[in-house]
Amino acid sequence: MQRRKILLSLAAAATLALPAAADDPMKIGFVYPSPIADVGWSAELNAGRLAIEEAFGDKVETFFVENVPEGPDAARIINQMAAQGADMIMLGSFGYMNDGISLAERRPDLTFIHASGYQLADNFSNFQSRNYETSYLVGMAAADVTESNTVGIVAAFAIPEVVGMINGFTLGLQAVKPDVTVKVVWLNSWFDPPKAQESARALIAQDADVVYSLYQDTPSVVTVAEEEGVWVINTSSDMKEYAPNWLLASQIADWSNYFVASAQATMDGTFQGEAFWGGYVDDTVDVKSWSSSISAETMTMIESAEAAMRAGEFHPLTGPIMDQDGTERLAAGEVIDDASMSGINWLVAGVETRIPQ
Amino acid sequence: MDVLVFIVSGTLAAATALIFAAMGELVAEKSGVLNLGIEGMMATGAAMGFVAVSLSGSYTVGFVAAAVLGCLLSLVHAVLTLVFRADQTASGLAIGILGLGLSSAIGKSYEGRTVAGLPELNLGPLSDIPVIGEMFFQQDIMVYLSIALIFATWYVLTRTKLGLVIRAIGESPENAHALGLKVRLIRAGCVGFGGAMAGIGGAYMSTAYTPLWAEGMIAGRGWIVVALTVFGTWIVPRVAFGAYLFGSMSLLELSIQAFGWNIPSQAMSVLPYVVTIIMLAVISRNLAFIRLNSPASLGAVLKIS
Repeated sequence: MQRRKILLSLAAAATLALPAAADDPMKIGFVYPSPIADVGWSAELNAGRLAIEEAFGDKVETFFVENVPEGPDAARIINQMAAQGADMIMLGSFGYMNDGISLAERRPDLTFIHASGYQLADNFSNFQSRNYETSYLVGMAAADVTESNTVGIVAAFAIPEVVGMINGFTLGLQAVKPDVTVKVVWLNSWFDPPKAQESARALIAQDADVVYSLYQDTPSVVTVAEEEGVWVINTSSDMKEYAPNWLLASQIADWSNYFVASAQATMDGTFQGEAFWGGYVDDTVDVKSWSSSISAETMTMIESAEAAMRAGEFHPLTGPIMDQDGTERLAAGEVIDDASMSGINWLVAGVETRIPQ
Repeated sequence: MDVLVFIVSGTLAAATALIFAAMGELVAEKSGVLNLGIEGMMATGAAMGFVAVSLSGSYTVGFVAAAVLGCLLSLVHAVLTLVFRADQTASGLAIGILGLGLSSAIGKSYEGRTVAGLPELNLGPLSDIPVIGEMFFQQDIMVYLSIALIFATWYVLTRTKLGLVIRAIGESPENAHALGLKVRLIRAGCVGFGGAMAGIGGAYMSTAYTPLWAEGMIAGRGWIVVALTVFGTWIVPRVAFGAYLFGSMSLLELSIQAFGWNIPSQAMSVLPYVVTIIMLAVISRNLAFIRLNSPASLGAVLKIS
């Protein structure tokens, strides 16, 4: 009896110590919150997956599950991926965080990269893009084209990332035109295309002639703008083909570099959990499809602001900045720090709508 | 004024899909068959309608295809509950889930695509009337057809022999059977009609109201339909009123947000549901009246040979 136990544990130790065969491809699983379409958030993440495949060829094997609702289904799918032998898992939505981190604690041999959360562990990184940088630039463009001086935003949820983008956008507006009214409609939903369209129409009915579509994963808002003949700015992937006449610009994020680097680190065994926050400095964010209707003068301002951000010399949230209540949040010349930025829960003066508390 | 025009004209369009599906569900429930699969049938109709319009360029083809598929799906429910005497609740839920999966399969390669929306009818001088014209006479044909459907459903159910037969079967299928009425056939017809209307409602969402296909775009509207039917106590005008109320409240919510009034948006998001439920509960608070109008055999397993 005793001998058998020892033998068993020896055998177990041997299996554990056995290194993975060198020609065994590394397996990477991807979990997407919405269906992969031609455009949108999941499409952008999927582009990162394809970049990994391209970079590593047959040294990696990737697989994905799309349209995974946050909650019990996500837990099941993430655990199943681990059971299928994934070495690295990309979690594409905020709500996968707790299921992901609990699996990461149980399975220190796996690595995780998680979109937009705040949890960290040795084998669990989170990644975000500094979209407020591009928001600032498209804000400048919006100020240039608005004639009614009213701009409407269709926003998903009042999470810090979205709030930061609204702030960046508004400050960009004000850099070009000081008194533009900014109206926000909160959908309280990541995915409800009909409601997103209704919101865009509600804003247009209240004089908005530029609509900013903040994290609508479908071309819902963009098509309404094209139909109604108002300018539209889109987030996460370029939607030029859906609004050929009225798309002002598209903000995009490019995860390729980060995904490839994370896969490389996993392969080398050097993966270290960290909070990655990519901006212009590391080529993670950019603006595509600038409309030719933006005046040359404003375009020059935009380009110089972009160059300053690429060089790491300019932050859109540089004081003096007042919030909606008139409280001074940043003194003149003061730059917001990353900790405050990642938890930002106040809107700058000039935004008419309040944050839902 | 723009805001008022937006809400009134928007309400007519927002309620259209609900009206189609709700009238269908009402007829099915009046015959005694509860169909909880409306969400799935609307989703399937939305996907099928979108694909058909994309391929053929014809909205008629789109709506017909959606109606046929919705009808077929609901007939599966009819066969399960009427022939094999399955539990209506369980069968309806299962068919609903099947419909959601089917919609995803049908629309798979069209995910995130758009089509041109169903054009508005040109009603000549009527459309040109300021304000009133913008509110009521710049709509697509399905909006007017949905209004016609309300009147037709009401007329057939309350003023014709067919309506009497449907209601009799819903009250007591055993007695109706004894009278020589073809209970299964008529129930199947009512359920099939309900599925077809749900399919059209779904297709309206994906080809006219929000002319794009995205999985999950029905986003719970099928459940609203089921709730409207019950809270409207199976009376046609009340159910229709509930649908318009729900539509107007959901648009009002967004307009109030855009006004910048300092009301928490989460509270605003529940407004349409709360107001609709309260309103319908208040107008339907007479218990005797509810008993009189609710089909007595609703949800019960058929006990005829």
